[in-house]
Amino acid sequence: MSERSAARRLMGVWALLMLLLALTVGSAFLPLGVGNTLLSLLIAAAKASLVVAFYMHLRTGSAPLRLIASTGLLWLLLLIMLTLADTLTRPSVSAPW
Amino acid sequence: MKDPTPTTRIRNVATSESEVRDPLRRQEHAAALGMWLFLATETLFVGALFAAYLLVRITHPQGFILGSRETDIVLGTLNTAVLLTSSLTMALAVDRQRVDMTRAASRWLMITAVLGLIFLGIKGLEYTLDWRHGLVPGLHFEPVGGQARGMELFFFLYFMMTGVHALHLFLGIGLVGAFAAMLQRGRLGAGNPAPIENLGLYWHFVDVVWIFLFPLLYLVHRT
Amino acid sequence: MTVTPSYLGGVRRLRDWLLTRDHKRIAILYLVSITVFFFVGALAIALVRLELFTPEGDVLTAETYNKAFSVHGILMVWFFLIPSIPATLGNFLIPLMIGARDLAFPRLNLLSWYIYTLGGAFTLYALLAGGVDTGWTFYTPYSTFFSNSHVFAAAAGVFVVGFSSILTGLNIVVTVHTLRTRGMHWFRLPLFVWALYATSAILLLATPVLAMTLVLMASERLFGVGIFDPALGGDPLLFQHLFWFYSHPAVYIMILPAMGVASEVITCFSRNPIFGYRMMAYAILAIALIGFMVWGHHMFTSGQSMYAGMVFSLLSFLVAIPSAIKVFNWTATLYRGEIHFDAPMIYALGFVGLFLIGGLTGLFLAALALDVHLTDTYFVISHFHYIMVGGSVMAYIGGIHFWWPKITGRRYPEFWARFAALLMFFGFNLTFFPQYILGYLGMPRRVHEYAPEFSVLNVLSSAGASLLAVAYILPLFYLGWSLRKGRRATANPWNATGLEWRTSSPPPPLNFAEQLPEVSEGPYAYDPDPQRGHL
Repeated sequence: MSERSAARRLMGVWALLMLLLALTVGSAFLPLGVGNTLLSLLIAAAKASLVVAFYMHLRTGSAPLRLIASTGLLWLLLLIMLTLADTLTRPSVSAPW
Repeated sequence: MKDPTPTTRIRNVATSESEVRDPLRRQEHAAALGMWLFLATETLFVGALFAAYLLVRITHPQGFILGSRETDIVLGTLNTAVLLTSSLTMALAVDRQRVDMTRAASRWLMITAVLGLIFLGIKGLEYTLDWRHGLVPGLHFEPVGGQARGMELFFFLYFMMTGVHALHLFLGIGLVGAFAAMLQRGRLGAGNPAPIENLGLYWHFVDVVWIFLFPLLYLVHRT
Repeated sequence: MTVTPSYLGGVRRLRDWLLTRDHKRIAILYLVSITVFFFVGALAIALVRLELFTPEGDVLTAETYNKAFSVHGILMVWFFLIPSIPATLGNFLIPLMIGARDLAFPRLNLLSWYIYTLGGAFTLYALLAGGVDTGWTFYTPYSTFFSNSHVFAAAAGVFVVGFSSILTGLNIVVTVHTLRTRGMHWFRLPLFVWALYATSAILLLATPVLAMTLVLMASERLFGVGIFDPALGGDPLLFQHLFWFYSHPAVYIMILPAMGVASEVITCFSRNPIFGYRMMAYAILAIALIGFMVWGHHMFTSGQSMYAGMVFSLLSFLVAIPSAIKVFNWTATLYRGEIHFDAPMIYALGFVGLFLIGGLTGLFLAALALDVHLTDTYFVISHFHYIMVGGSVMAYIGGIHFWWPKITGRRYPEFWARFAALLMFFGFNLTFFPQYILGYLGMPRRVHEYAPEFSVLNVLSSAGASLLAVAYILPLFYLGWSLRKGRRATANPWNATGLEWRTSSPPPPLNFAEQLPEVSEGPYAYDPDPQRGHL
């Protein structure tokens, strides 16, 4: 790949990132209730995927590298999910004070 | 004890380890593997904060909304744009180094460092404003309106998460500067892409963390 | 006659040790350090067992007692057990076992030892400045709000030493991926390497969460904010979730390497290949994986939701399955073998038996209803000591004996080694079996005085502890003696398989002579008994 097209691809990713940034900020002002959080996290995931795939070269990375990258994320999700399994199913009792 | 005939056939062959695999490629692969493993540990290091955030937010939804409204969305958005751009310049630097354009790479690295410093500057401005408004838990916290407990927890996590992020960014800027200097002096040429590739991975990771921090801290129900 | 140069040769200057990049020398540095911490932690618990000799609290004040068991836990967990096999035997053996000249990142290896030492310095400071009394678990809000002890320094020590283990884990993973010699495919690796690989994965994924949890805890203490403090709107269970997300996998960090040692020793001293090699490897991975999903079983009675409790209970039962597979397979390995009761084998067999008992009692604790009765009693203490001490420590010491000729080039005196091993086994059971009964009868843990009806069992336990102490001190003497006066060892005194035995004892600085060995068969190619039959 020539240096020009490589640089152009990188800048194209940047443009997409800026667009997504505008989207996430703009949508924050729409009254979507819990949808706001979901949407902003989805957009964040999209941005992160772009950075990981194109800037961090995981798109062309080897299988072990991809496995390691996804394992880190997976384990974080494991921590969050199983802890939520407790927090969300606990009956809430207010403190007397 | 009966003497076992070793049946594991081991041959000491007349090949050196350099013929097992190209050592340079193996070293690059090892460096990349090591770097990604380190990033996996960082994911869980910072991730613990995200987990704490999520769980506290569930129990203090109102406090988090009010707290988030006290953050400066303009500065936050600006900072996000700055950091995303710094990822672009870092990626360009890595790309330039790969084709042995070391001076161009060095320049892109310096721009990256400058953008990082701008980010830290804006962050410092935000922190100063937070102090003036009495939003620093444990040191100077006087929120307006109800939900003081929830807001205090929000700002505790806000300072922890952005603080840890800023620390990582600060270290990154230092490394970027050092690498820029080395490239200028003609070291780290195209034959050695691993160090700057790994530096890029670190920088982009810091960016990815911010990508998630931004909506969670600045955009909680702004309507 | 040419003498093969040894990695120990010509190292008279301190600088040669403190600035070394040789994984073998770094392993020795770790060996010395963890032994020091082991005895400090042992001294602490000696005070505890002395106090518990009588029901009244007449030796230590309650506060000092709390500090004694806290420092025992902190030092034993983080400064002894977690680094024990990985940083000593792992560091020394992994490159040898896979046919490499060193680990992937030798300088990071040395750095990890310095970080360990720095963490140790913080913790020793905490100890000398007056100690910490929160228990090794640092539970909030006691640690963040109420304790007047040196929480910050102790937490700093643990925080720092965590990075040492992360670096060790990182090094091992990259090494196993990239430096295996020709022919050393994944399924030809010794199970010791598999075990340390899985351990390293746990180190990498779990330790960072602990690090951040300690930062949060310390920040709360410093700033008086409260994500863990119910009085300030926080949740103490959040701390516990984050803490145990690391600390449960941590116990697998402690047992998996021991299982690796057991596989190496049992095969050698029964002259049999391991029974079910692939299942053993898969079981190691399964233990590491499922081990991350069971942490809530430490929180059954802390206010965790019943639903979560059931999930964690079920998963805790599941993790016993791969462990059981391993115990069955070690046993099957013995079948129709030619058993030799050398000291390493006594340790390894002791490991299997005591691990079995400890593991079974873990199942009792995993049952929610039973745990309500048994939690925070001596039953729990006995359970984890059966696994960590009866299991891990015995395997560690057994491994030290097994590879002692390789590491030092000397043979230790077999009589004393066997005596110490048997004394350890006996002393251990005398110390800890009564504690199962004490727990069942309701004696709580972490108390410096107790009801008189628990007296007899406590006396037995303390008596056992003094025997254990002798058993731990004995190796210092005869192993130390062997360094000067022991018979010189040949390259393969045990006639074992494995690449580490194909080089001299001790190995040369670059592990193998000019060429690296090549492998074309699997491990444990001991001559099976033709009458053994198929299992």
